[in-house]
Amino acid sequence: MRVLGLVALLAPLMLAGCSVHDMVLFFPAGPMAASELHYTYLITGIMMVIIVPTLLMSIWFPIKYHISRQHKEKYTPDWTFSYAIEVLAWGIPLGIVAVLAWLSVHGIRGIDPWNPPLLAKIAPNAPVEEVDVIATDWQWVFIYPAEKLVTIDELTIPAGARIDLKLTATQNMDGFYIPQVAPMVDAMPAMQTKDTFLVSQPGDFTGFSTDFSGAGFSWMRFAVHAVSTADFAAWVQSHQGAAPLDYAAFDAHIAQPQVNYGATPSYFTLTDPKLFGEVISAAQMGKTYPVSQALNKAVADDDAAPVAGAQ
Amino acid sequence: MQVAIEGPWSPLFGRLTLDAIPYNNPIIVPTFIVAALAGLVAVGAVLYYKKLGYIWREWLCSVDHKKIGVMYIILGLVMLFRGYADGLMIRTQQAIAIGPNSPGFLGAKHGYLPPFHFDQIYSAHGTIMLIFAATPLLTGLGNVIVPLQIGARDMAFPYLNATSLWLTFAGAALVMISLFVGEFSSATWVGLMPYSEMASNPGVGVDYWMWAIQISSIGTTFNSINIIATIVKMRAPGMTWFKLPVFSWVQLTTAIIGLTAFPILTVALTMLGIDRYLGTHFFTAGMGGNFMLYINLFWIWGHPEVYFLVLPAFGVLSEVVPAFSRKALFGYPTMVAASFSIAGIGWMVWAHHFFTMGMGPNQIGFFSAATMIVGIPTGVKAFNWLFTMYRGRISYETPMLWAMISIVLLLIGGLTGMMLSASVIDYSVHDSVFVVAHFHCMVLVIGASAFAAVIFWWPKVFGFKLNETLGKWFFWTFIAGSLLVFVPMFMAGLAGETRRLDYVFNTALAPYMLWEEVGVLVYLASIFFFVAMLVVSLWQRVPAGESPWGTERGLEWLTRTPVPFYNFAVTPHVNALDETSWRREVGAALRPTRYVPIHLPHGSGLPFILGMDVFAWGFALTWRIDWLIVLTTIAMIAIVFIRSFDRNEGFIIPAEEVEAYEANISTASIFAEQPKRGHGLVGEAH
Ligand code: HEM
Ligand SMILES: [Cu+2]
Ligand SMILES: [Cu+2]
Repeated sequence: MRVLGLVALLAPLMLAGCSVHDMVLFFPAGPMAASELHYTYLITGIMMVIIVPTLLMSIWFPIKYHISRQHKEKYTPDWTFSYAIEVLAWGIPLGIVAVLAWLSVHGIRGIDPWNPPLLAKIAPNAPVEEVDVIATDWQWVFIYPAEKLVTIDELTIPAGARIDLKLTATQNMDGFYIPQVAPMVDAMPAMQTKDTFLVSQPGDFTGFSTDFSGAGFSWMRFAVHAVSTADFAAWVQSHQGAAPLDYAAFDAHIAQPQVNYGATPSYFTLTDPKLFGEVISAAQMGKTYPVSQALNKAVADDDAAPVAGAQ
Repeated sequence: MQVAIEGPWSPLFGRLTLDAIPYNNPIIVPTFIVAALAGLVAVGAVLYYKKLGYIWREWLCSVDHKKIGVMYIILGLVMLFRGYADGLMIRTQQAIAIGPNSPGFLGAKHGYLPPFHFDQIYSAHGTIMLIFAATPLLTGLGNVIVPLQIGARDMAFPYLNATSLWLTFAGAALVMISLFVGEFSSATWVGLMPYSEMASNPGVGVDYWMWAIQISSIGTTFNSINIIATIVKMRAPGMTWFKLPVFSWVQLTTAIIGLTAFPILTVALTMLGIDRYLGTHFFTAGMGGNFMLYINLFWIWGHPEVYFLVLPAFGVLSEVVPAFSRKALFGYPTMVAASFSIAGIGWMVWAHHFFTMGMGPNQIGFFSAATMIVGIPTGVKAFNWLFTMYRGRISYETPMLWAMISIVLLLIGGLTGMMLSASVIDYSVHDSVFVVAHFHCMVLVIGASAFAAVIFWWPKVFGFKLNETLGKWFFWTFIAGSLLVFVPMFMAGLAGETRRLDYVFNTALAPYMLWEEVGVLVYLASIFFFVAMLVVSLWQRVPAGESPWGTERGLEWLTRTPVPFYNFAVTPHVNALDETSWRREVGAALRPTRYVPIHLPHGSGLPFILGMDVFAWGFALTWRIDWLIVLTTIAMIAIVFIRSFDRNEGFIIPAEEVEAYEANISTASIFAEQPKRGHGLVGEAH
């Protein structure tokens, strides 16, 4: 019965087909993603110069020189070398690769997530909002050091501000990514990486992990709300007085392996300004949050007994 | 001095307990029953027809490069099927588990596989397809064809060749048994780090994965040594380097990659093993460990590995396209140069697999540009195949259909590869299904070329052709399935779908997932036609004659068809790059007129026994059964000792006997049972 229901549910979906608007990478909402898209168009376009003719040849030659047309077409069985063709065969790809490589190097320098010259150029006076990101198994923790606020699975940021992220992880490597907005950068335990971006207009997005980190990985997503500066201040205000969080509480509760199936956000007051650094040092000293087989089996399993920590 | 392990351990069984056998799993139990029944039927048939002795003597003990090659290919095809079954399960899970309201079956919250199970299937799919399907298929082809193409009697080290085969089998057997005893790795085919360490992966899954790859890659390293020695030392008189056929050239480049790259993997996995068994910290996040070292080591092997796989496919295209264009290969010298360029530059690009790991723009720029440079020789190859077709006379036999689609797929895979190598684009699609679709295009090139090769050289080995009609059905259903799976996958990548998802939270992806599901089901039809093609052709066995396609060019077609176990009755003198078509053109003799005695090695059961022993060793290590580890290690050393003191120098077939075989070639074919032969005197024979 459930299977039938499923078919009834899915059939119209399939017929509806795929809409261009689903392909979110074509709709950037900030200069970093816009630059990525710009280079996607540029590089793919230049590649077409070589791909399209080659594709046409690979279809046209087999048809034109099919054996059934042998009386109409030339046949040169021993013609096996031509300097002119070989020079072109090496030269054209060489030329195109030279252009593409230059574009690629140029492009990556512009959006270098450590400190993108692109943002410095476009929005030199944008206010800077710092957020520290910790990927746990399997949640996202966002620390706002200036606002003394910690959120889980929600990243609210002022639109128009330059967002400076520092990233790390408690135990496994995760990929931090917000399509349309922020370049993908890995969050790694015992290490710190950086990501920098800017959202042009207020809007809602979804971020998620792109690098597999275990059973709860598929549920590692977070809501991104880019809001006006005034709304941001109001949002910060509205979470004043949330439960306090220091390293001990983080270690005992938040960092423990758990899945937040609904990605429901929660909020804390940061009482330990060095929390982010402490998480990195702890990982360097060998701190791990072991995931037992029992826990692995219990994730998203209806039959399994609920595991401590899992919601 | 072992690390603390989760769960019970006993001296007799190590970590193995009854709980390790998933007797209550609704998917594994039926699979086991079907597999066990099929196994019983196979064993029963062998016993009923009294073929046990035949199989032992003529196949399991064989050191004949053709039989070894055929067994490699059979292994590859079986594992291809297993890998497909995994793919079907992955796609079905992702087609159901979309959005918070998606239903759950068989105990899963969404879909029918909880992550614990799904992640294993995902990891097994990649490991199997690359290491245990594609690699054996291509190694097998090299084994069958290279000695024939260069006019040799066998590989340089026939015994080592059999050892490589059985080591690969042992690795594959470990992967297969993990289905029924314990679990497989969930750390994907690359062994994500530090995720593969004990903290996140306390079970035996990673150990299965590690030992399976470790064992089979030692087999691959041996095989590379063998291919290099064979091509360098055993070419027939007259075959100068620039008369070496392109397929053999790429086998040489591939073997150089294999010999230099696989030891890196061996070292990386050994270090991981020491971490997991002795509690060191090479690749842990803390305690001075550096998991980025593993990621680098893995890809320093991993990227050359993908060229290790695709270069033989390019070699196949360079043989099949000329044959069915009735024209010599265009640009032979630049084809050889391009192969070496690809192999060489392939060494300098590995970091493109982790552009997002926080490298600075200058390092990224270097690896990005280097990756793009690989595109140049790849493009050269495509142009040369196209100009081979230009002014040719092309016919569309199935091998040619596969070859033509390979070129198209190569263009799509190359285009998307170039996009990914621009790191500024990669920052938006890395680890998305766009990457998955990119490399599947490339892997389809490998698959398509392997099918082209199997169909093309099948009559050479077996003496009859595969059914063309069913072959074309197989082709078209396969292509339809591929389109339906991978076009939506590219689009889903642009819609921001991450890879390795057990549950797809973005409901907008549903249509893509469903089209992919349709595609993966269409593949079922292609499997049906493939099996039908094999069965019908084996049933009919229409003799193919000496020139099955009428357009053969290379030296390998100069032996009788089917090729006798001794290959060439008399080692030929080579005059041209395309020796067979050259002899036909100038009217030179195709067959020898005078026969000479032939010297061949005896078969041996030791490689097979060694393979079984290494399998037991891997199993013992996985489950940490100490006494069995010691025992199997001693047995391994003993086998090597026994072999080292073996003075058997092979046997000699007298000239008259060779003449008799040549007159009645079926008595020397791959299926024919040969009489037991005594030890001959070496020295007079060739
Ligand atoms: C023109 C040639 C090629 C270029 C420029 C190219 C480029 C790339 C790049 C940049 C990536 C990394 C993408 C990412 O993870 O974000 C990649 C991934 C990959 N490519 Fe290619 N590639 C080429 C040919 C091939 C070939 C011939 C094969 C193999 C047969 C191949 C197999 C793969 C595989 C298996 C991966 C993904 C590995 C993984 O993450 O699991 N590629 N390619
Ligand atoms: Cu790092
Ligand atoms: Cu690569």
